[in-house]
Amino acid sequence: MGLRFAVDTGGTFTDLMVATEEGVLSMHKASTTPSDPVAGVIDSLRIAAEAAGEDLNAYLGRGEILVHGTTHAINAIVTGSTAKTAFLTTKGHPDTLVFREGGRIEPFNFTVPYTEPYVPRALTYEVPERITVSGAVKTSLDEDAVVSILEEVRAAGVEAIGVSFLWSVVNPAHELAVGALIEKHLPGVPYTLSHQINPSIREYRRASSTCIDASLKPIMGAYMRGLEQRLREAGFHGRVLVVTSQGGVMDAARVAEAPVHLINSGPSMAPVAAKAYGADDAAETLIVGDTGGTTFDVSLVRRGRIPRSRETWLGQPFRSHMTGMPSVDVKSIGAGGGSIAWVDRGGLLHVGPKSAGAVPGPVCYGRGGTKPTLTDASVALGFIDAEFFLGGKMALNKSGALDAIRSDVAEPLGKTVEEAAEVIVALATEHMVQAIMDITVNQGIDPTQATFVAGGGAAGLNCVAIARRLGCKRVLVTEAGAALSASGALISDLTAHQQAMFHTRSDAFDIEGVNGVLAGLKEACDAFAAGPGAGAKGVEIDWSTEARYTDQAWEIEVPLRVPSFAGGDDVGALVSDFHQMHQDIFAVSDDKAGIETVSWNAEVRCRIGSGVPGRLAADGRPAKLASRPVRFLGTDWIDADVWRLEAIPQGETLAGPAIVESDFTSIVIDPGAKAWRDASGNLVIEV
Amino acid sequence: MTGANASATKTMDGSTLAVLTARFEGIARKMANTLHRTGRSGILTIARDFSCVVLTAKHELLATAESLPNHVLRGPDIMSRTMTDNHPVLKRGDAFLHNSPYHGCTHPADHSILIPIIDEEGVHRFTVLAKAHQADCGNSLPTTYMGAAVDVYNEGALIFPAVKVQDNYQHVMDIIRMCQMRIRVPDQWWGDYLATLGAARVGEREILALGKEIGWDRLEDYSRQWFDYSEKRMIEVIRALPKGRVTRTSTHDAFPGTPAEGVTIKATVEVKPDEAMIEVDMTDNPDSMPNGLNLSEACSLSAPMIGIFNSIDHTVPKNEGSFRRIKIHLRDGCVVGRPRHPTSCSVATTNIADRVANPVQAAIAELADGLGQAETGALIPPSCGVVSGVHDGKPFVNEVYLGCTGGAGTPWTDGWLTILHVGNAGMCYQDSIEIDELRHPIFVHQRRLIPDSEGAGRFRGALGAYSEFAPVDCAMTVAYVSDGNVNPALGTRGGLAGARSAQFRRLADGSLQPVPACAEVVIGPDETMVSISGGGGGYGHPHERDPARVLHDVREGWISRERAESVYGVALTEDGEIDGKMTAQRRGAVGQV
Repeated sequence: MGLRFAVDTGGTFTDLMVATEEGVLSMHKASTTPSDPVAGVIDSLRIAAEAAGEDLNAYLGRGEILVHGTTHAINAIVTGSTAKTAFLTTKGHPDTLVFREGGRIEPFNFTVPYTEPYVPRALTYEVPERITVSGAVKTSLDEDAVVSILEEVRAAGVEAIGVSFLWSVVNPAHELAVGALIEKHLPGVPYTLSHQINPSIREYRRASSTCIDASLKPIMGAYMRGLEQRLREAGFHGRVLVVTSQGGVMDAARVAEAPVHLINSGPSMAPVAAKAYGADDAAETLIVGDTGGTTFDVSLVRRGRIPRSRETWLGQPFRSHMTGMPSVDVKSIGAGGGSIAWVDRGGLLHVGPKSAGAVPGPVCYGRGGTKPTLTDASVALGFIDAEFFLGGKMALNKSGALDAIRSDVAEPLGKTVEEAAEVIVALATEHMVQAIMDITVNQGIDPTQATFVAGGGAAGLNCVAIARRLGCKRVLVTEAGAALSASGALISDLTAHQQAMFHTRSDAFDIEGVNGVLAGLKEACDAFAAGPGAGAKGVEIDWSTEARYTDQAWEIEVPLRVPSFAGGDDVGALVSDFHQMHQDIFAVSDDKAGIETVSWNAEVRCRIGSGVPGRLAADGRPAKLASRPVRFLGTDWIDADVWRLEAIPQGETLAGPAIVESDFTSIVIDPGAKAWRDASGNLVIEV
Repeated sequence: MTGANASATKTMDGSTLAVLTARFEGIARKMANTLHRTGRSGILTIARDFSCVVLTAKHELLATAESLPNHVLRGPDIMSRTMTDNHPVLKRGDAFLHNSPYHGCTHPADHSILIPIIDEEGVHRFTVLAKAHQADCGNSLPTTYMGAAVDVYNEGALIFPAVKVQDNYQHVMDIIRMCQMRIRVPDQWWGDYLATLGAARVGEREILALGKEIGWDRLEDYSRQWFDYSEKRMIEVIRALPKGRVTRTSTHDAFPGTPAEGVTIKATVEVKPDEAMIEVDMTDNPDSMPNGLNLSEACSLSAPMIGIFNSIDHTVPKNEGSFRRIKIHLRDGCVVGRPRHPTSCSVATTNIADRVANPVQAAIAELADGLGQAETGALIPPSCGVVSGVHDGKPFVNEVYLGCTGGAGTPWTDGWLTILHVGNAGMCYQDSIEIDELRHPIFVHQRRLIPDSEGAGRFRGALGAYSEFAPVDCAMTVAYVSDGNVNPALGTRGGLAGARSAQFRRLADGSLQPVPACAEVVIGPDETMVSISGGGGGYGHPHERDPARVLHDVREGWISRERAESVYGVALTEDGEIDGKMTAQRRGAVGQV
């Protein structure tokens, strides 16, 4: 085993976490070059090599794996630099990408335009063919028509093609035939077939996944090839892996062939890390909050499983396009350290969703920001030490922060600056709490029985306040909590998701048919384990079905106890698990009703890392710092103890009011709360 | 701990208001999420045709989350009052079923559950309401939109004027059994009832917890001050509007029971900036008709308010506070007014209601550029009709959403494509064809937008939609009430009207046979239903449209080159670029607005 690297490219910084052969972690930071993200990756590795006192080439030569988290795919979509893509659809249904699935937010807000289709209507082609719900061919594929469509596609200068036909998930013959014709008539033009990239029902979602995937193939193929080549040139000979939206990793070369898996990869690793670091926590559910500069991402770990959702969007819900791909269920809201506080003309306070972002940033950064933010409020209250921000690497302009709060919030509300700062934190906290409530109600989780895992640079400012509002008993801040995602990436598994459609009902369960489908999935999983997963330290397959009550419209995912049904008892067990899951999620079940299953899933996970979360190197500095005045929520100024997170010895219990600081974050321990470090290095706070 | 209880004084500052508002909105949202995820029928779980709100004990609308505008602006207040009038003693564990259009409900298909929130001392503090459109409500025909019903007896729905359906958290099984004996596919109804009740109970649980945490009196202080804040915002917005009085009409097509020339609805909007009031007079309209198009009181009040709120700063909160600055004049026994029993209000939420909201927003547009909107396309074409039949010995009934568009041009944007109708604001979902084909014995031949069907304008209306679908191995009844066959959605400020709606039966030989606009049509096994929905009206003269937008529409196939030239005055060169000179000439010649 050698060095393991996790590199996360953000808008401003590229963050690197390195695990040594002994499992000791270190964190490093380099600037991101937006036009050449790989440069930031190499720079961060160079900084780590220097810190280790080694030559880059030799240092990388010790590397075993490098896990890369990138937003390059979603950035390409946002900036419009994806390939010119054509959409081939069933004749009679040219507007699937235009209609989407309807729905809207803010019913009285007509200032936001309807979104343009992901593929322009001008590049949408109707193919004469139709398959029915049973898989029967109603209209056979007109291959001559396809050939002339491909001529038009060529003439239009198309660079990629998405093919999505109705019911191709039941009978893929027509899509496969069109795929063969593309290879024959337009060799080299990348294409995606819907039943392969996203074999699930609902034509809009499938067509959307398909077209997004096709449009990303040229740019992401080039990116992945460039990444691998430059890492090799720099001396790295290990395996290059990329973080996916499902909370796993895939080989860079493989992900280049299915780049839609990258779209929502940004927040997917936080729950993976939380699951590993919180494995010893007694709660059944972990609520994971990742607070950055502009967004607050919430995800869950429930009994060791990370819930997924297909309702993930490229931008705002209903104002953008749904990816339709199973992704880690994450709720994001515009709330973070950079959220701007302001008072409207009716006298109502607002915090966010507008953000000062990284540029110009909060007023206290002194980079031109003039609007007071959550970070500025935290400086005003003494949560953040203006003299010791990021371990003293950056001096903060406290008086600027106070002035901005005074003019924009305190005076309009008739409050003192301290009171204004307090209500800014309180309102930001409430918005985060509401985001958590949205995702927990959708998953049927009672937050009072959960532990809150706080990650991200701004998490410590109000994690205790959030937990108290939710009624959680404990907060967990991992040692490398500011880089929660990167620590997740280091321990994530190589995963592949296999799925097949097969409809059957519990009152006439087709055991043979289901077992046939499951055997096919097993074969695909085995092939993956023997191929990309060869040499893994362990292979596991998670089986599940997406099922619903016979009259319902939306499926829920129910784990299977067995990879093959032996008889009626196994079917009965599935039905009773379904009722239980429905009760868990929705607080109701209809035990007399039958169920129907729509699709079957197998997720194969190959363990390639250690799976054991690492620890930061021991810190020899004193644990206790000089105390300082802090104004906690609901208190006056108190002289609070200040601790250095990395240096707090295991077994020492500290009591609020206190502040725990690290080189990356500042954690507020409100009066009445107690905190200590556990064996994994986590800071456990009993609120 | 938080700002919410940091201060003990009665006056709350803007931060406490903000926190408690987030909490009440969160409760309404939690109710809605619960209902959406647990309902059984497609209309709830796929189309999302439901709403969840919180009212004060004094029947004031407090929090609505993202409900359907025509469900909630007005009506919940009257329903809540009916509950307290009919049941002077309320206790914890009560729940009431309400769908009476004579007592505040929108129409009989919108089964609603009201639950009073009773504090520890037995005091009624708040009321939660969950309203859900049913797949069937026991009408004499298998549709929830009985356009031709001459009265409520002919309509046939069971009417519940706030009837107790749970006592001490237990179902009143007599009521349940009555519903099961009258409503088609009773298991589906039962599932939807449980989902609606569950949503209301979730709201109750959350508000009880909130009262315990914050204190009931303090919550009442909050609602009073939140209303004052909202009123203040509304006053500020109205004061900035131009003073004026505009009368506009909008005509609903002739249907059974209407005059032969259709029903012309007249709305007079008066903006009074000095008094910070907007008034809408709806009294100069025909008497109630012997059909199902009459508006309930709830719809008569909500529809003009939709027109108003669509026309002004959208950040003004919609609640009792902002409503104080709006006055809607109604009269008894009027098609837009307070209906007298047994007038039928079966179709109250859509057809005539849209002919109220539309002229109101178009009238406000006439007051000044930058205000109001054009008219939105009309409902209910067969593509959004109720399909029913018997397949393989099993009955099926549900409303489908197979393509209906019609968004109106606004001062800021082109019409929102999937708006459905003005009262819905696009909140409902459109069906997945695969899901519909899996759930029902139907086959969808086509669903597409119709080129050149938009109401042209500076900002154009949405295109109309074409859809064609058929039963599979059975006959299928399609019930619909399609307005707009004759009277399209009109433009405003020089914008043009959208295309008209239409409907046909395609016979086995492929020919098209026109079918009536208000009907229950039986489609045979080898026939198809053809539905054409109307386009939205345009805002501003088409010659004011940015030529780049016109070019984009041509390239996407939404409008023809010919239309670009003749209607928008944009000439294109042979290679499809804008011909600036010719365009200037054309627009100069006929572009005088």
